[in-house]
Amino acid sequence: MASAIIKTLFGGLLAATALSGGALAQSGPIKIGVVTPLSGTYTPIGQQVRWGLELAAKELNAAGGIAGRQVSLVFEDEEANPAVAVQKAEKLFQVEKVDFLTGTVNSGSTLAVAQLAERNGKLAATTVSFADSITTDKCSPNMFRVNARAEQQSVALAAWLAKEKPKAKIYYLGPDYEMGRSTVAAFKSSAEKSGAQTGGEVFAPLDSKDYTQYFGQIRATRPQVIYTSVAGNDTVRLLTQLQDFGLLSGLSVVGASGTVTSQNITAIGAAAEGFATGVGYSPQIDSPENKTFVAAFREANKTDPDLYGADSYGLLFAYKAAVEKAGSTETDKVREALRGLTWQTPQGAKTIRAGDHQAMQPMYVVRVTKGKFDIIDNVSAENAIGPDACARF
Amino acid sequence: MTAIDYLQFVLAPQVVNGLALGVAVVLVALGLTIIFGMLDVINMSHGEFYAIGAYAALALGAAGIGFWFLLVLVPVLMVPLGMAAERLLIRPVFDTKDRHVTTLLVTFGLGLIVEDVLKIIFGANTQRPPTPIPGATEILGIILPNYRLFLILVGAAIVLAVAYVVYKTRLGAMVRAAAFDRNMAASLGVPVSLVYAGTFAFGVGLAGLAGVLLAPIYSVFPTMGRDFILLAFTVVIVGGMGSIWGAVVAGLLLTQVQALASLVISPVWTDPIVFGTMVAFLVFRPQGLFGRLGHA
Repeated sequence: MASAIIKTLFGGLLAATALSGGALAQSGPIKIGVVTPLSGTYTPIGQQVRWGLELAAKELNAAGGIAGRQVSLVFEDEEANPAVAVQKAEKLFQVEKVDFLTGTVNSGSTLAVAQLAERNGKLAATTVSFADSITTDKCSPNMFRVNARAEQQSVALAAWLAKEKPKAKIYYLGPDYEMGRSTVAAFKSSAEKSGAQTGGEVFAPLDSKDYTQYFGQIRATRPQVIYTSVAGNDTVRLLTQLQDFGLLSGLSVVGASGTVTSQNITAIGAAAEGFATGVGYSPQIDSPENKTFVAAFREANKTDPDLYGADSYGLLFAYKAAVEKAGSTETDKVREALRGLTWQTPQGAKTIRAGDHQAMQPMYVVRVTKGKFDIIDNVSAENAIGPDACARF
Repeated sequence: MTAIDYLQFVLAPQVVNGLALGVAVVLVALGLTIIFGMLDVINMSHGEFYAIGAYAALALGAAGIGFWFLLVLVPVLMVPLGMAAERLLIRPVFDTKDRHVTTLLVTFGLGLIVEDVLKIIFGANTQRPPTPIPGATEILGIILPNYRLFLILVGAAIVLAVAYVVYKTRLGAMVRAAAFDRNMAASLGVPVSLVYAGTFAFGVGLAGLAGVLLAPIYSVFPTMGRDFILLAFTVVIVGGMGSIWGAVVAGLLLTQVQALASLVISPVWTDPIVFGTMVAFLVFRPQGLFGRLGHA
């Protein structure tokens, strides 16, 4: 019972007390471990992950659970730090004996947890990390990704940008770690394919206070477009500082889908106006399933879901479909069932590609107008996915 | 890129932006160095007091109180908070043998608690008060937002005012005397415990003031206190513990080092270089640039 889990977060010390039901394998509740940032710069993202998973668990449990067993979520704080994520994931696998693990946000954490899952013979999935490597050159037989990766986002965005500002000169600014470098590389290759030029690039440390130190280099190259993949508080600072320095006039800012979200758009204010991104989810998607989901999410959490909330919510339904198809929670059987699985999510049908464990989904281009994202363009799942570049399995 | 372009677009703005950041760091470090130099207390929760100031500005600003009034009101509101923290947490451990360790741990714990209380009250999401002075000025092709210009000026005024109080007034003399020799000052009629509490509260008030001033630039979120604390401690150590001028010089110098290192070497190297400087000072010149307040 999810409601029976009391979670107290106090200064990064998470005490999770679950009902000790003497959980024997294949009976009692199905335990899903969640290692997600509950403190630090990515707290807002972790919050959405948690809300999405909790809502899905509540709905699943009310409808009889997975294969007749209730779902219980066990949370740990990732602190958006791969070293911490590994410790916490190890604890969930070894001590809590979770059947499945999700929640990692930092792409470095996801890659580290994939290796850990292999060693423990368990399955894990990310609903957030963008780095292409997770399902390309560093793919893992035990890691799945149900959210859109950097390449899917950038294909959609670059296609729109080529129509909007043909042959634009683009300056790239990313956070200096796996996700930042991966998103910049992905968008750069998509944009250059569609005729854009590259003005320059810079990588700023995660959690930078002051982005003004890069403005000189940016101005000197005189770009028409800035692409950025910073997230969370970093976006607030970057965009508002760009605005304070008067650099936003005549510039289009585009970015990764985690750059501006419902979590930070209010704080960014007018500086977010016109920001465009390629994304796999928007609360604006006009379907009955999405309307129902948004209403339920809003009622539970007093705020709109963003891509992280929606993708996290959808994951549990994929897991349910796979476990019920496999008739068990055993790693090998569930892995087989997840490969090629098509299931329904608030953003429509998703299919997990068997070759690289990457979910295929329709992609949208959304732009901020008056503080709200409007869908302005879309690309089909097949056109956005790109080739399977995973060689490990 | 031509040399002129580089100078105008890259190097000059970098130096000016470094100056604005330097003033911000000095503002945060000022209260820290006073508490450190005067009371010999390592206040790890200084960053969280800075966060409280920022949140107070945000909440009171939303309630309709003007920015100019907040500049006075918030530090004043912080004083009783600082007094209470000193009375309840610092004083009980003040006379223990290893004061540095105990105060460090107590204030570190306080910081963690404050961080979470802020998260509970205001939520985890980033918020930002409106910029009080909008617009930007262009001087010789260097763009500088008016608010940052104002920050540099007001920061200088605050430093001068604090230095005047500490070095030129009777009150400042009492404070320095109490720091230099507690027993002698007490026997001369200086109310030492009140001076200590007042000094701590003054440092906390300065942190709150920094919060009000910096919130529009750096935005407001529960863990914002961690942003400046390491850099501020570095400034205090390099400048000389408790030296006001030391904090100013070190703050401005280190942020220039940061700005130029980011440009010339790589952004990734800024922190190692700054903290390397601190380590070098600890090894070769532990008293810092200017030595200690009350000992000079």
